[in-house]
Amino acid sequence: MELKGEQLIAAPVSKVWLGLNDVTVLHASIPGCEEIERISEEEVRAKVMFKIGPVRARFSGRLILSDIVPNASCSMAFEGSGGAAGFAKGKARVELIGAEGGTLVRYSTEASIGGKLGQIGGRLISASAKKIADDFFLAFANELGGEISLVSDAKLDD
Amino acid sequence: MKAAAFDYVKAKNLTEAIALLSEHGEDAQLIAGGQTLLATLNLRLSEPSILIDITAVSELKDISLHGNILRIGALVTHTEIERSDLIAQHAPLLTEAAPHIAHRAIRNLGTWGGSLAYGDPAAEWPACSLALDAVMVIQGPDGVRKVSAKDFFIDLYTTTLQADEILVASEIPLASSNQDHCFQELARRHGDYAAVGLAAMIRKDKGEVQTCRLAFFSVAAIPTMATKAQAFIEGKSIDAAVIQQAVNLAREEIETLADITNSQETKTHLLGVLLERALTKMMP
Amino acid sequence: MNHKKQITMMLNGKQISAEIEPRRHLVDFLREDLGLKGPHLGCEQGACGACTVRVNGQIVRGCLYLAVQADGATIETVEGLTEQGVLSDLQEAFLRHNALQCGFCTSGMLLAAAELIEHQPKSNREQIREWISGNYCRCTGYHSIVDAIMEVLEARADGRKVKPVTAA
Repeated sequence: MELKGEQLIAAPVSKVWLGLNDVTVLHASIPGCEEIERISEEEVRAKVMFKIGPVRARFSGRLILSDIVPNASCSMAFEGSGGAAGFAKGKARVELIGAEGGTLVRYSTEASIGGKLGQIGGRLISASAKKIADDFFLAFANELGGEISLVSDAKLDD
Repeated sequence: MKAAAFDYVKAKNLTEAIALLSEHGEDAQLIAGGQTLLATLNLRLSEPSILIDITAVSELKDISLHGNILRIGALVTHTEIERSDLIAQHAPLLTEAAPHIAHRAIRNLGTWGGSLAYGDPAAEWPACSLALDAVMVIQGPDGVRKVSAKDFFIDLYTTTLQADEILVASEIPLASSNQDHCFQELARRHGDYAAVGLAAMIRKDKGEVQTCRLAFFSVAAIPTMATKAQAFIEGKSIDAAVIQQAVNLAREEIETLADITNSQETKTHLLGVLLERALTKMMP
Repeated sequence: MNHKKQITMMLNGKQISAEIEPRRHLVDFLREDLGLKGPHLGCEQGACGACTVRVNGQIVRGCLYLAVQADGATIETVEGLTEQGVLSDLQEAFLRHNALQCGFCTSGMLLAAAELIEHQPKSNREQIREWISGNYCRCTGYHSIVDAIMEVLEARADGRKVKPVTAA
């Protein structure tokens, strides 16, 4: 499953970069985030409760950053286990570009969801991912004190 | 796989149900028909610590008339809707749609309110509620509020229901004598999730359409109305040219979302096919 | 953590009581706690229909119904309905038409058919197929099941008894 998108956040690049690396900001922005802890400069561990419809799946996972170019871009590898519900694995690329009105956050993600969630939830995984991404950016922008305007909707590829 | 352990409590009335929901918060899930919830629990896609059974809340079980409004209680089952004379008379779109929902055994337990509260993009009742200008009646610790269907479904599996609220009923204007409807659903097999579906309602005056409602389901993350096609049809008589143009408008305006079995392009194509069939049927 | 609940129900005409965990669904309760092996478990998702039982006079998915919800209810399985009324006609017809092979779907299929005959006695083949589409059969290819149900519907419409299957 691939997810790509762009969001314009009304805040300068350096502030957005700091926000993306600040576990307190992330805690408030990731929908359903229950715990988050920075293990090292590259690694963050988190527990997130995904609530979509009747599903309430608690994922424990980690995020590992690489190719870090401060105030510009980074790559991420993530993996999470949802216990009996399934597991998720993937990578993402995030780019920050200064633009009129603030910072353009350009992201692309490739993820695979396995286990029960993948089999049964497969029908709606893409739509769920898009919703989670949209919810994340709304909350993230709020945290930074700015507003977001949709530059282009998250695009999905299966 | 079997569900993880949970506690269980059966609310005796609506006040108790709301109090229990407030008390347990995120650890609880409501169970009514349970046709969606229990399938979820059987796979351990959710592990609530307690289920609050609301099936004994008798005030949610009626289909009743109040002036020019038909009120459907949240606990009314799909089969009850299928078999109701009141609904056949005053909201026949629902009578036509009901047999499309899953299979009989599921319809015997599944509820009107459950289907609306989850707002599954492939569900029939959310689209029908849009087509019929339904109003949702919601109750929580702070009292009752009403939300029209078009403001109720806001995102994937997300309605305006707050975590401490319960959907108690829907209010639907009675079908007028000049009202017509058509329900279409395409699925590979009977009972499958819809590939694409349409709940349509029109009101005509001397052959000219006064009101047009075209609510598509299984095309996007939420049930979606073809507002431009609707506006185009209103004020006109339905003929082949109007149908063709309406189909083009609907295909252009609805941003379809692929799902696991059908691409965006397929859904865009099929929604036009269903619209053509529905308008043709409602033409005379 | 003991959440066990006390329940009482009418099961196949007899009142029974039990103490069970809320998470136990009705079919597990019937099969594992009471030894009633008529209803089967296929998908536990409500799709296959092998678990179909009757609650308060209507068919339900036993895997999508908790035993605790059956408190105060009337439950019927194929064991309780066998060889009486419409079930007996269906059983004769199923035998005559070879409408079962392994038998896994049969309990659910019979109960579903019984509800069709009760509520939609004028059904044609197409309507029968649509009705039983909620009960999966991997063996027969469904034709013989539809034939059997059709035979019962026609017999009833004509006001005659379904002929019992006898050795030639």
